[in-house]
Amino acid sequence: MGESRLATIWSLAAAVTILTAGCGQGLLGGGQEGGDQGPIALGMLVPQSGSEAAVGPYMRNAAQFAVDEINGKGGVLGRKLELKVADDACDAQTAVAGAGKLVTEGVVVSVGGYCSGATLPTLPVFGKAGIPMIIPAANSQELVDQHLGHVFLINGTGTQQAAAAMAWITKQGATKVALMHDNTSYSKDIAVRTKKLLDEPGGPETAILEAVTPKESDYSANITNVLGAKPDFVYWTGYFQEGGLITRQLRQAGYKDAIMVGDGSVSGKLAEIAGPEAAEGVYATMTQTPETLQGAGNWIEAYTKKFGSPPGPYSNQSYDAVRLAAEALKNAGSTDGTKVIAALEAINGFPMFSGPLKFTADHTLSAGGFQILVIRSGRFVLQDALK
Amino acid sequence: MSAGARTRGPGTRLGRAVSRLLDSGWAGLTGLAAALLAPFVIATPYALSIMTSAAVFVMLASGLNIVVGFCGLLDLGYVAFFAAGAYTAGVLSTRFGLPLLATVPAVIAVTVVAGVVIGAPTLRLRSDYLAIVTLGFGEIIRITAGNLSVTGGPSGIYGIPGLVDGPVAFYYLTVVVVSLAVAGASRLGRSRLGRAWRFVREDEDAAEAMGVHTYRVKLAAYVAGAVWGGLAGVLFAAQLSAISPGSFTFLRSALVLMAVVLGGMGSTPGVVAGAIVISLLPEVLRDLADYQFFAFGVLLIVVMLVRPQGLWPHRSREAAP
Repeated sequence: MGESRLATIWSLAAAVTILTAGCGQGLLGGGQEGGDQGPIALGMLVPQSGSEAAVGPYMRNAAQFAVDEINGKGGVLGRKLELKVADDACDAQTAVAGAGKLVTEGVVVSVGGYCSGATLPTLPVFGKAGIPMIIPAANSQELVDQHLGHVFLINGTGTQQAAAAMAWITKQGATKVALMHDNTSYSKDIAVRTKKLLDEPGGPETAILEAVTPKESDYSANITNVLGAKPDFVYWTGYFQEGGLITRQLRQAGYKDAIMVGDGSVSGKLAEIAGPEAAEGVYATMTQTPETLQGAGNWIEAYTKKFGSPPGPYSNQSYDAVRLAAEALKNAGSTDGTKVIAALEAINGFPMFSGPLKFTADHTLSAGGFQILVIRSGRFVLQDALK
Repeated sequence: MSAGARTRGPGTRLGRAVSRLLDSGWAGLTGLAAALLAPFVIATPYALSIMTSAAVFVMLASGLNIVVGFCGLLDLGYVAFFAAGAYTAGVLSTRFGLPLLATVPAVIAVTVVAGVVIGAPTLRLRSDYLAIVTLGFGEIIRITAGNLSVTGGPSGIYGIPGLVDGPVAFYYLTVVVVSLAVAGASRLGRSRLGRAWRFVREDEDAAEAMGVHTYRVKLAAYVAGAVWGGLAGVLFAAQLSAISPGSFTFLRSALVLMAVVLGGMGSTPGVVAGAIVISLLPEVLRDLADYQFFAFGVLLIVVMLVRPQGLWPHRSREAAP
C-alpha cells in the first residue's frame, strides 16, 4: 500500500464527508430535525414478522383507530397525531433497531411493546432520548423491576394475574393445583408467582410445577407427570397453541376436574385445537377484552367496519395507549418528554377499557382488571369479574 | 484485510477487470475508511444502531469463516459461542458488578474451553455428522441458558453496562475491534496454520499423509472461531444491554453461515461484504413490511444464481486449476 494511494483514499473520503455533512444527519450536521409544526408522531413497536406476527395487526389497527378518532376531533395541542409503526419481530436486536428508527423519526411517545423479551432492550433506547413509553401489552415483571421513570404499563402484570388466578382457585375450592408453563419469560413468571401464593400456609397446595417445550404436538409425557400428582385443578399459563393441545390431551387422559388458562391462551383458536367438547368449561384469567366489556359493542362494530375484521387480543389496550398518550400530551401542554411523564403520573381516573386509570408508584395499573372467562360453545364468555 | 493474491483463472475481460479491482489491496482500507466516516454522513440513533449491529455481524462471520471457510468444517451451531460470550459477559457484569471490559479474559477462557470441550469429541467426525452435532450443541446452549437461574432463565439478563458512553463512541469502538478481528482472521488464514487449514479443507486424507496433524489443526480452527464468536457476544451484550435465549436461535447460526457462503467461503473481503449484505438488507427492505422477508429471500436466491461462487470469492495461487 503506497503512500500516495492512502492519501488518495483519505482525500476522497474527506471530500465525500464534506459534501454529505450538509445533509444535516451526520455528526457535523448538528441540531435535531423536526420542529413544533406538523403532526405529533407516536411510535409503536409491534411484531409484524416472526413467531408472534399475528398479533401485530390487532394492535396497529386499534392504535390507528384511536389516532383517526382523535384527529377527527381536531387533534392534540392544535396539531394532528401521526402513528409510526416499526416491526420488532419479537426479537431483541430487531426491536432495538426499530426503536432507534422511531427515535430518529422524531416520535414523542412510544405506545408499543408486545413481547417482553424484545421490549426490555428498547427501554434504554427510548429512555436516553427522553421519550415516555406507554406499554400496552408486554407485562413481564422485569419491565417494572428496573423502576425506570419513563416506562408505564397499562396491561395487568404477572403478579396481578397470579392473584386473580389464586382468587378463582380458592373460590372453586380446589385443593391440589398443577401449574404448567412453557418456559417463556411471560408464562413462567405467572406460574412461579401463582406457586408462591399457593405455597403460603392454608388454602390450596401446589401439586406440581411442570414446564413443557413449546411447539410440540404430543404432551402426553408432561400430562402423565401432571396427573401422577393427582391435581384437581390445572392452570396453564402459556399460549393457545399448546393450551389447546394440553386441554385435549388432559381430557383424553381422563382428567375431569377444572382446567384454567392464562391470558396468552385466550383465543378462539384454543377451542378449535382442543375440540369443542374438551374445551367446554375451560376457565381463563384475562384482562377485559372487547367481547367481555359492557357497552363496547359500538366500538367493536366501528372497528370491524373500518378494518374489515373484528378486534383481537390487545386491541383495546393499544387503543387506550394512544388515547392516554393524547391525554397526557394535552395535559402537559407540550411534547417535552419530562412534562409528558409528569402528566402521566398525575393522571387520575382517566376512563379506559380496564377501568378508571391511576398509575401506582411503579407505573403499573392500580388494579389489573383481571377477570375469569369460561368457554361456552367454543367462545370465551365472562364467568366472574372478581370484583 | 485484503485478499492480496494475484488474479488467475479465465474469464471475460470485464470479469478480469472487476476481479483485479476486488483483489487489489484497496478493498480493506477503503472499507475501514467508509466505516469510520459513515457517522459523519448519518448519525441518527437508528443508523448507528444498525451499523453497530452490522459490524458485530461482520465479526461473527469472520469467526465462522475460520471454521467453515478456511478449514471446511460445517458448523451449524456457531451461535452457541456467541451466546457463551454474551452470557459470560452479562452474568459477570450484572451479578458480580465487574466492568464489561474486565470480563473479556473470562469470556476468552470460557469460549476456549467450550471450543475444546465441544471440538475434541466432535472433530473426529466428518462432514454431515459434524454438522448434526454442532446443530445440537447450538440448541443445547440456548435451552440451557433458558433453564438456568444464573442466566436469568427465559427472560435473560438485563441492565448490562455499556463499554463506553454514547452510541457514537460505541460504534467507533466496535469498528476498531471488528477491524482488528477481521485483519487477525485474515492473517491467521495466510499463516502456516492457515495453509494447513486449507489443506485439510481440500483433502483431509492427503493432508494427514503429508504430515499435517489434522485433528489438532481442526481443533485450532474451531477454538479460534469460538473466541471470535465469544468476543462478538461481548459487543452484542454491550450494545443491547439485555440478552435472552431468543437472540441465539438456529436462525442466527444459519444467517451467519449464509453470510459466509454468500460472500465467498474463505475470502476475507467476501465474508465481510456478505455479512454487511445479510445484516443490512432486512433493514433496507423494512419499508416493504409484509413482503420484507419475501424480498430478502428472493434477493438471496438471485445472488446465489448470479454469483454461485460468492459475491467476492477467494482466489489463491494454490487453488488455480
